[in-house]
Amino acid sequence: MAHPSTVARALHYSSKAPLRWLAAWGRITFFGSVMVVRALSPKSYSPQTRYNLARHVYVDTAPILGWFTALISLFTLIITRIVIVTSSSYGLSQYALEMVVRVLVVELIPLTAALFVALRCTIPSGAALVEMRRIGHFSKLRRQRLDPVAVEVLPRLLAGIFACITLAALSCVVAGVLAYFGVYGPTSAGADAYMHAIGHVFNPMFTFIFMIKTLFFAIAVSVTPMASGLNNIEDDGSRESAALQGLVRMFGVLLMLEALSLVANYI
Amino acid sequence: MATTPPPPAHEPPKPPPTPPETPVQKSEPASRNIPIRNLEMKATLLLAFTVALILAVALLLAKSRGYFEPKQHLILVADNAEGVVAGMDLTFSGFPIGTVKKFSLGDTGQVRIEIDVVKKDAKWLRTSSVFTLIKNIFGPAQLRAYSGVLTDPPLPDGAERPVLRGDFNEEAARVVGAAKDVLDNLNRITSENSDLNRSMANLQVFTQKLQGKRGALEAVFGNPQDAQKLVDAVQRANSAMAEIQRLAQRGESFVSHADTRVFGPNGLATDAQASVRQLQGLLTDARGSLQRVDAVLKEAQGAVSNVKGATEDLGSLRNEVEASLRRVEDMINDLQRKWPFAKERKIELP
Repeated sequence: MAHPSTVARALHYSSKAPLRWLAAWGRITFFGSVMVVRALSPKSYSPQTRYNLARHVYVDTAPILGWFTALISLFTLIITRIVIVTSSSYGLSQYALEMVVRVLVVELIPLTAALFVALRCTIPSGAALVEMRRIGHFSKLRRQRLDPVAVEVLPRLLAGIFACITLAALSCVVAGVLAYFGVYGPTSAGADAYMHAIGHVFNPMFTFIFMIKTLFFAIAVSVTPMASGLNNIEDDGSRESAALQGLVRMFGVLLMLEALSLVANYI
Repeated sequence: MATTPPPPAHEPPKPPPTPPETPVQKSEPASRNIPIRNLEMKATLLLAFTVALILAVALLLAKSRGYFEPKQHLILVADNAEGVVAGMDLTFSGFPIGTVKKFSLGDTGQVRIEIDVVKKDAKWLRTSSVFTLIKNIFGPAQLRAYSGVLTDPPLPDGAERPVLRGDFNEEAARVVGAAKDVLDNLNRITSENSDLNRSMANLQVFTQKLQGKRGALEAVFGNPQDAQKLVDAVQRANSAMAEIQRLAQRGESFVSHADTRVFGPNGLATDAQASVRQLQGLLTDARGSLQRVDAVLKEAQGAVSNVKGATEDLGSLRNEVEASLRRVEDMINDLQRKWPFAKERKIELP
């Protein structure tokens, strides 16, 4: 049987869980706001920051651009074929193209790109930041009169945003082209009808919501893991804990953004 | 979160500090401290590629929405805006030629649908064009234009036209109402005491009579006696017809015999023709004799002129002979006019 004082401490700790949860989200929000401001401030871009930014932008994006596009192409072909065959069997083939564009290009590809960038870049970056803090790399930077946030955090965050936007943009274009060939075959006869259908789907409000959603996806998958990595010192401080917390919080934010975009588009 | 102020700007830039190599940091894509040649150029190219891609897509979307094409304004007036949404197409022969920009309720309570028609496609809209708004059971409502006479003047910019509306649900309700009426009538017609039912019963009786011994006759007359009378009458008519036919055959035989006897080689007509010819010869001889008698009488008249009084009897005799001669001549003339001595052999029927 547990000691009463132990139970009391456990109850005391559990009773503060909502507060800790709120505080963590508050710190993430504050961190994201500060990072956005620092990203928009020219003073943040010191030579060290620019070098790290260029390195992270290139290394985080270029190696995965090709095979992520190939993966999305395969995914697009499969989804397009399924949608076309199903809609044709129900006599609704005239809605197949619009459905492919709405489901694949607008909803699935930005989410896939964001998750891919998170798993490939930003969650490892968040874990690396935890490790840097653990081994005192930030203190070393401060001793060298360098800002660790500007030198190590900001380039990783901006590189994650850039990678997410680039992957989403290229994948959407490739998916759009493949959807055209999936529907019309290797001919240019359907170009006008296809462009009209695309223009019909992407009305100004829909396009704006799509762009905002993609941008917020990119910010969410970049900010959340790094904020978790920089704010987990009160826990055990391990990299697994930081990665797990970042992953869970990031999924929560993505889910909320997706729900908001669906509400804005279709309700 | 660490909020160390950035280093002063007057310090020269230092080379970026190298983070320590740890297993965790090696999980990052950029963790390996491998120098990358032309890093800034590659990063700039990647950034330019992304920006160019986004701009190209934006331009393509703007073009697909027709932002770069001149447009013509068209206002359609409808009594109901149900099914109309901003952005829906106006189609002509299945091709979209315009887009609904907005729709609003007008001062008269009617709906004004404002449409932008692409200038290059506006040629299909004429002053006589008809516009319809069809709401199907599946899919969105469809706004269509029909131009029957393409030689009519083109539709001017800002024209206002009525739109004919067809709603499947309204039509379906109307059809259901009409079908209900039809079913009610059908029920009334097929009810037990309906006229149709009674007619069918009568028809059944009629068909049963048709299948009886007298068949249709009994069905028509209603009783077998009258039907039997008709059968007897028909039989008598058949007998009469057979008798008539037999008489006709006998008459035909009689006519044939008569024809042979009258017009055959030794028939009556031939004999009559020869007799008449002989008679004509006799009469000709008689006329000659009488002419000679007349001459003799003339000579005798001259010879006995002196005894005129005495020969008055002879004068009267002469007159009688002349009268007889004229009658014979008239008869000969008549005979010559008669068939078969006439030149034109024809029989004048009365």
